[in-house]
Amino acid sequence: MTTMRGALKGLLALAAVFTLLVTTGGEATAQKPILSGPLVKLDIKPAQIDAARGTSKGTLTVAMHFALDPGWLDPLEHSYAVTQQMYDYLVHDTMIKPMPYGYVTYGLAEQAELAADFRRAAFRLRPGLKFHDGHPLTTADVKWTYETFKGAYAKVFHDKLEHIQVVDDRTIVFHFKEPFIDFMDLYNGGVSGIGWIVPKHYYEKAGRDGFKARPIGAGPYKLVSQQAGVQMVFEAFEDYWRRTPATKTIVVKGIRDPATRMAGLQTGELDLAFGMTGKVLPRLMADANLRWDPNFTGPWWLMFPGYNEPGSPFRDKRVRQAVSLAINRQFLVKQETQGIGKPWGNWISPENRDALQGPEVPVPEFNLEKAKQLMAQAGFPDGFDADYLPFPPYFDMGERIITDLRAIGIRGRLQSLEGPAFRAKIGQGRKGIPGNRTIVQNIDPRAGGAKANLAVYAVCGSSASFVCEPQIEALWTKHQASLDLGERERLVKAIQRILLDEHHFVPVYWNPFIHGVGPRVLPEGQGFHRYWDTLNAPYPWPWEIWEVKADR
Amino acid sequence: MATVLERAPSLGGLSHVARRSYRIVADVPAIPLLILGTLTFVAVFAPVIAPHRKLTPVKPTPAQCQARFSMTDCPYVDNVPPFWMSGGRLDTPLGTDFLGRDVLSRLMYGARISLVVALTGTLFAGAIGTLLGVLAGYMGKWWDQIIMRITDAWLTLPSLVFAILLSSVRGPGVWNVVLILALVFWSRYSRAVRGEVLALRERDFVKLAEINGISTRTIVFRHLLPNVMNTVMVLFSLQLGVAVIIEASLSFLGVGVPPPEPSWGLMMAQERESLMDGKWWLAVFPGIGISMLVLSANMLGDWLRVRLDPQLRNR
Amino acid sequence: MTLWLLVTIIFGLVRLTGDPVAMKAEAGADAAYVARLKQDWGLDQPLPWQYLGFIGNLLRGDFGHSFEKSLPVRDIYFERLPNSLKLGFAAFIISIVLGVPLGMLSALKVNSWWDSTGKVVALFGLSMPGFFVGLVLIIVFGIHLGWLPVLGKGRSAFVGSDPSTWVTFWFRDWSHLVMPAFALGWYFSGAMLRITRSGMLDVLGSDYIKLVRLKGVPERMVVAKHALKNSMIPVLTFAGLNLLIMVNVAVVIEVIFNWPGVGQLLYDGLSNRDFPMVQGVVLMSGLMIVVLNFTIDVLYGYVDPRIRLSR
Repeated sequence: MTTMRGALKGLLALAAVFTLLVTTGGEATAQKPILSGPLVKLDIKPAQIDAARGTSKGTLTVAMHFALDPGWLDPLEHSYAVTQQMYDYLVHDTMIKPMPYGYVTYGLAEQAELAADFRRAAFRLRPGLKFHDGHPLTTADVKWTYETFKGAYAKVFHDKLEHIQVVDDRTIVFHFKEPFIDFMDLYNGGVSGIGWIVPKHYYEKAGRDGFKARPIGAGPYKLVSQQAGVQMVFEAFEDYWRRTPATKTIVVKGIRDPATRMAGLQTGELDLAFGMTGKVLPRLMADANLRWDPNFTGPWWLMFPGYNEPGSPFRDKRVRQAVSLAINRQFLVKQETQGIGKPWGNWISPENRDALQGPEVPVPEFNLEKAKQLMAQAGFPDGFDADYLPFPPYFDMGERIITDLRAIGIRGRLQSLEGPAFRAKIGQGRKGIPGNRTIVQNIDPRAGGAKANLAVYAVCGSSASFVCEPQIEALWTKHQASLDLGERERLVKAIQRILLDEHHFVPVYWNPFIHGVGPRVLPEGQGFHRYWDTLNAPYPWPWEIWEVKADR
Repeated sequence: MATVLERAPSLGGLSHVARRSYRIVADVPAIPLLILGTLTFVAVFAPVIAPHRKLTPVKPTPAQCQARFSMTDCPYVDNVPPFWMSGGRLDTPLGTDFLGRDVLSRLMYGARISLVVALTGTLFAGAIGTLLGVLAGYMGKWWDQIIMRITDAWLTLPSLVFAILLSSVRGPGVWNVVLILALVFWSRYSRAVRGEVLALRERDFVKLAEINGISTRTIVFRHLLPNVMNTVMVLFSLQLGVAVIIEASLSFLGVGVPPPEPSWGLMMAQERESLMDGKWWLAVFPGIGISMLVLSANMLGDWLRVRLDPQLRNR
Repeated sequence: MTLWLLVTIIFGLVRLTGDPVAMKAEAGADAAYVARLKQDWGLDQPLPWQYLGFIGNLLRGDFGHSFEKSLPVRDIYFERLPNSLKLGFAAFIISIVLGVPLGMLSALKVNSWWDSTGKVVALFGLSMPGFFVGLVLIIVFGIHLGWLPVLGKGRSAFVGSDPSTWVTFWFRDWSHLVMPAFALGWYFSGAMLRITRSGMLDVLGSDYIKLVRLKGVPERMVVAKHALKNSMIPVLTFAGLNLLIMVNVAVVIEVIFNWPGVGQLLYDGLSNRDFPMVQGVVLMSGLMIVVLNFTIDVLYGYVDPRIRLSR
């Protein structure tokens, strides 16, 4: 009897323990937090993993609108330019990144945590991750990438880091010296390069040049050949964790001339061409065989370097307002973008977090009479001469705006620079553009929230900024010191409000950086627009979802 | 009574004059001078004879605005075709460009730019090169060595490559292009002139002047220079054509004369994309302008060369 | 000596063109990033040191790393050079095919109607800038007639799919080459015409030819056997020089037709203030010309006595 009862008790106990083990064990693998203590609520969407692995087929030929740089294949030296991310999405992968399914989506990581005091951040990698050469991707590579990173924002990352704790092959914790509020924003693959994981074993063997010539990553495609500056050929990495890439081969060509890209689309040699703006756009729209996606990037806006100096005509707010009133935005978008562009009231893209949205920023009015009155009131009834610095290569647009301004007496002299020369000037701020009778036209679709734009263009401390206002400085200082996300958002919006009300920046229109698409891109009809669903992305990534017709 | 025969000599005399006049006229290169003359006339008087402004768009009629944009009023109508095509108008005979500016007027102002830039650039190049060549040839020794070494090094660079490189230093701009032209081409003059001067130096009249103690300065300016002028002039007219092409190429690449000025090369570059749309006139007319200018400069240069070099006379 | 001067001039000029670091670093880049770029590119060292380093590397055949394309300049240059050579060679052939026969015809029927036509054609060739010819070709052949692409594969002459593969290129993708080669060769065919013409005239007027004629050799033989042979010498030397010039001056043509040659490298390099690239390309073109001039001088010295004798 005792043995029976004993055995039953034992069995029950065993069953209880077993159940306990099973249930808690399951939770442990799915839900157990890595960090202790209160956590920040992160809004990271899960990755869409495609269990059914199909086969890749077809070739997609893409035309980039400038020469290709093999340096883009190396995330360790990531530039600030957003172009490099196109190649990041092709060859590499990162812990969290923007995808069509959410502004931040899980990539290599399946779990990410940020401590409430912003001093610790943790990630857990998915199981079974591999690089293109079959070598497993572990936290050792994540740690090495972080420590070896030399690219954009490197200083911030290295300065704030205290140490990296590798818990095991899949779990890693970053410890910071002080609260690093922006860490998750910056570590996001859409903003900086440090999150794109580079294989330590291969990089050390191949060296810098070798890595750029033949890179290896964890992304959906691997580079098979390149001719520096001209062409890169990528092939699908069948073992990519998320899904089998739909297209087998992707060829990227660097073709600077829009007319040539257009010709390529028409003959069928190109399936996707970037930057079909200006004079080729009517032809693209008229061709029944071809399709296009508007691909709104960022708004154009005008700035006034040196406006707060005594001799500058733009010192008076009324003059700046007159400039805004004189631009015929409706006609401009008709001319420049065949009516696709949207006249806009803000200089930061509405797809950016914390940017003032459409209804909050009505389109500035077009009123020549009022503009002339303001000019006269400000003491310039006959106008004045000014320099106009357009954003290359949109010189036509610059000429159109100058023509508009001439109607109220501002005689603009177009200063045409080449792309890099212009960016250099903008980057150096007052040092690059020393005059105070200049109007600069700029566009900057950078990710990282509206605060990223403010940090560059609106605060005294930034070398690239032309704006220095005590009111804004006060708000900005509060913002930098605050640990409350809600308060930060309010402050960011308040600063934008000031900039617009005082006309420090004159927004023009939200720019469509139109991409042309050929007939071979699937799905036929208008379904192809889904490739552009990723927010705040000037290029249609991710690439593994692109489908083309199989034959060539 | 004087017979016809008796009067014949005077008739014959007249025809003799006529024949001589004809030969003089035939000797002169009529075609290139005509073309160059017309272009110069247009260039000089462009502000007066151009039907519209070079930078301001042509004010369109409401009908035009309606047809193009479905709006009753618009700042300008772009890409109006030449008057012989449908949609064209006589007041903009060669059409309008992408900003609604009159093509004919811009072509006229563009003649100014091409001529001024090419002429001044080549003049400066010629002046520098000739002076240096004379110095090298006459002074000899280390003058010669240094100048010729530099000239040789200069000459190894293809002119367009060199011009583009120089344009990056200075940036776009009309006077920058003049500077570039001067810097790129002076070496051609110095080399040719030096050769001439070396030969001249041994001639009697120079030796006589030296013996008589005439200053080097006078020898250079009064004896040597006039005698190398032939070569220089021939070179000049031939280089003029090249200069026009280099300026057009630079403007075409975006590093020469900057917008909105109507340089012919720039007009071609800006409207290259319109070509694909079938608006060929925007890029072709400036191209024809360039070709005409260069053609006449070359023809003139050829004629000068034949004229001034007795050896080639009979070819 | 000339070479050294050339190198120094180029070094100095290139350094004057601007600041590549400012160009690569975007607005908002932090100072550490800028400093790292400078260090990577060797621009943080004092100028004389950079110069010495440059010369030293040159002697080892190392042109440095391209700022914009991140790989060694030498590798990139020699990867592209065959493309430019292809274009130059094709243009060269076109210029000879167009220019030499017309030149000979002009010389043989000197001062006749043929001659005048020849002279006019030459002039036209020398007067129309290459890019204008290119544009006209694009309009006429590419758009209106649609002749190019040919070979039924729907390939365009513009996009230039893969001109780096030798054999398949010549047989399959020559349509890509036709228009740019023609645009480039057009200018030089005018020059070839003139050279051939004056060369032939020289020879035809020489004592040697007079002697041959006196001997009673039929006119056709005179031309074909004797005049042709001797007049080819100046033609060939000039042609060699032209080929080199074509390879190097094809910048505008390469830009219009998107031909991936060294001219485009130069243009890209200058736009981005890519010092090593610009230095490399300009130096190489100067070097090629110096070497060729030298070779021509040597050849002339060797060949000259024979010309004198044949007169």
